[in-house]
Amino acid sequence: MAAVAASAGWLLRLRAAGADGPWRRLCGAGLPRGFLQSASAYGAAAQRRQVAHFTFQPDPEPVEYGQTQKMNLFQAVTSALDNSLAKDPTAVIFGEDVAFGGVFRCTVGLRDKYGKDRVFNTPLCEQGIVGFGIGIAVTGATAIAEIQFADYIFPAFDQIVNEAAKYRYRSGDLFNCGSLTIRSPWGCVGHGALYHSQSPEAFFAHCPGIKVVVPRSPFQAKGLLLSCIEDKNPCIFFEPKILYRAAVEQVPVEPYNIPLSQAEVIREGSDVTLVAWGTQVHVIREVAAMAQEKLGVSCEVIDLRTILPWDVDTVCKSVIKTGRLLVSHEAPLTGGFASEISSTVQIPHISNVI
Amino acid sequence: MAVAAAAARVWRPSRGLGRAGLPLLRLLGARGLARSHTHRWQQQRHFSSLDDKPQFPGASAEFIDKLEFIQPNVISGIPIYRVMDRQGQIINPSEDPHLPQEKVLKFYKSMTLLNTMDRILYESQRQGRISFYMTNYGEEGTHVGSAAALDDTDLVFGQYREAGVLMYRDYPLELFMAQCYGNVSDLGKGRQMPVHYGCRERHFVTISSPLATQIPQAVGAAYAAKRANANRVVICYFGEGAASEGDAHAGFNFAATLECPIIFFCRNNGYAISTPTSEQYRGDGIAARGPGYGILSIRVDGNDVFAVYNATKEARRRAVAENQPFLIEAMTYRIGHHSTSDDSSAYRSVDEVNYWDKQDHPISRLRHHLQSRGWWDDEQEKAWRKQSRKKVMEAFEQAERKLKPNPNLIFSDVYQEMPAQLRKQQESLARHLQTYGEHYPLDHFEKQVPPNTLRSQAVLEACSARLLHWAGSLVSPFSTLSYTVFSQGLGEGTSGTGHP
Repeated sequence: MAAVAASAGWLLRLRAAGADGPWRRLCGAGLPRGFLQSASAYGAAAQRRQVAHFTFQPDPEPVEYGQTQKMNLFQAVTSALDNSLAKDPTAVIFGEDVAFGGVFRCTVGLRDKYGKDRVFNTPLCEQGIVGFGIGIAVTGATAIAEIQFADYIFPAFDQIVNEAAKYRYRSGDLFNCGSLTIRSPWGCVGHGALYHSQSPEAFFAHCPGIKVVVPRSPFQAKGLLLSCIEDKNPCIFFEPKILYRAAVEQVPVEPYNIPLSQAEVIREGSDVTLVAWGTQVHVIREVAAMAQEKLGVSCEVIDLRTILPWDVDTVCKSVIKTGRLLVSHEAPLTGGFASEISSTVQIPHISNVI
Repeated sequence: MAVAAAAARVWRPSRGLGRAGLPLLRLLGARGLARSHTHRWQQQRHFSSLDDKPQFPGASAEFIDKLEFIQPNVISGIPIYRVMDRQGQIINPSEDPHLPQEKVLKFYKSMTLLNTMDRILYESQRQGRISFYMTNYGEEGTHVGSAAALDDTDLVFGQYREAGVLMYRDYPLELFMAQCYGNVSDLGKGRQMPVHYGCRERHFVTISSPLATQIPQAVGAAYAAKRANANRVVICYFGEGAASEGDAHAGFNFAATLECPIIFFCRNNGYAISTPTSEQYRGDGIAARGPGYGILSIRVDGNDVFAVYNATKEARRRAVAENQPFLIEAMTYRIGHHSTSDDSSAYRSVDEVNYWDKQDHPISRLRHHLQSRGWWDDEQEKAWRKQSRKKVMEAFEQAERKLKPNPNLIFSDVYQEMPAQLRKQQESLARHLQTYGEHYPLDHFEKQVPPNTLRSQAVLEACSARLLHWAGSLVSPFSTLSYTVFSQGLGEGTSGTGHP
């Protein structure tokens, strides 16, 4: 659902989408004149398409990983996949429409480069995609499955929760599917409505045996995705779809890893801890700046990065320092992952929360 | 733009947009989409207005001008392949697999040893010694006939009623029992209900309770085998009830489209717990579904071990050679209850069960065959019954006496490495047991080793067997590395197998 959970919701500023440009281009494509009039032609009563506003805030160019290139988030994903297939001859990528490059262009060029036995379409069946991926991983080969939208991951829920997550435990470590990674576009995009906007991380957070990761930027995405692929446990990697094009920064060309289960303090502060992941990190960063400017409040901003297993120590250490916690996420409020964080933080022997 | 992305999901590329379609897509920024569309356009057949044949990409067929629905044929369905009649006589000599005596005796001894073990373990559940059990009565032929037709290294994904496959692969009685008792010798570390066997060494993937989940997994494993040029087949067993699951449909379709060397082996035993086949499907069983997916399919007499053997053997040969799936539907009958939690007299007659037990049983049919060949007689039968029962009872008594695994094992293997939260929970349990241990039957469990010494040298030495198979787990099931070192490492008595 496109609802934003936190009290920081009031911060979303609405802005007209600049309606004239696209309509003009469409008219120039040969459609009959007057068929689609520019929205401004209807006067002030016309509703302009409004999009939620946030500003993607790129991180400084990384220096420790060698040469970098300007990439958006989907290009960073492609780069990570390219590195993986180059390094690991057993690695394969599959899912709906990945062969031509994917509906979000994350797999462009990979089939031509690595062959049709390594980058291939599957029939339209999420439970099959994940089950198939588990089977590949059981043999020790690396399986990178794509679920086209996180909203469609639910048919695969049984395979993920009852099978992938429990494979190692139930077999006494005789078998495992650790080399499985599931990638899926995630989160609000503005117009996605019920079924192209969901953030289902809370469902999976309740499932020991898998890892759940959400990056905030291209640089984070590539490093975290590579870590997920190399991790010896089945991982779900949610890619904020609104950032696919909107997020652009310098990303190393060579492979590099960002560790899982480590949250990152991206802004230090002393009065309140703000925790978020994915797209909302950028909203929260803005909140922190506004709070400093308008209220004189010093905010510590943490990007959680890994939802499961999550970095309890970093968050608690911060809350012990500031004494206050605000968690902000997309996804419904009730049973959302903020409830896990806030309840853990309040366990007496862990922190002194006001 | 995300608009194009959403468009891609909802629209088929530009067909409905006419001449404006291609430039429109380009303008929307779906360059990748437009490029592939151009490519496909160039690939399509040359159209001619004089050509009245169907051009649809979705099917290769002729037109028909008569309105007619295809009638599914369930009165006279796909015929059932068999080699022996109910008395164990070969019907068509050219179908006799001409197996050596030693091999056929192994079939017989595997099936009967399984039957003996089933009787004793079923009884042990009734007596409260184990929590649960599922017998294999009547289906022994499907297990042994198919297992014998495979290579030892072919990967097996089962449902839960395929213990005969493990028996044929010489899985020791003590390990069957260990899993049912959940004792320290259990390779699964006592975590699952009984009959959820698994054995890496024998390429038998651990059983899980959810039905049909193994089907798409088996397909993935077969795809990996194909890529690895492993010359292996994957076999996937399931019942006719599990075949109703979505995962079965998914598995069949993926196997066909991705050209995987896999044998789908359906044990159609007439019941899914209490649900008869008339309430499970309305078509001609499972074999008739295969052609719908483009899969070569056959129906066999599952109580005829030679028919099962022949079909599996040929399916294996072709699956590996041609990289395509095969579907074998083995018709049989579940003589026993679904499990120890079931009393099947509630939904079927004793007469029906007796018919199969007395008139059409895979073990008796094979015995008659063996006897007619002079390879077996009543005296050997008597001696073997006594010997197999003795083996089973010995393994049973040993399994009873063993401790249960260390409670720390509740928390390990959830992930490859134990995350901090789980370690905290493990420590919390340890503290709890220190204070309240008197309320728990700790005497039945392996002595609790403090969590922070789990990686200590002393424990490593004691757990050398576990280390060895952990090391083995780093190697792909498709490698040719031998795992026999594992069974020696166990050091828990002899491995009685009933092997002739």
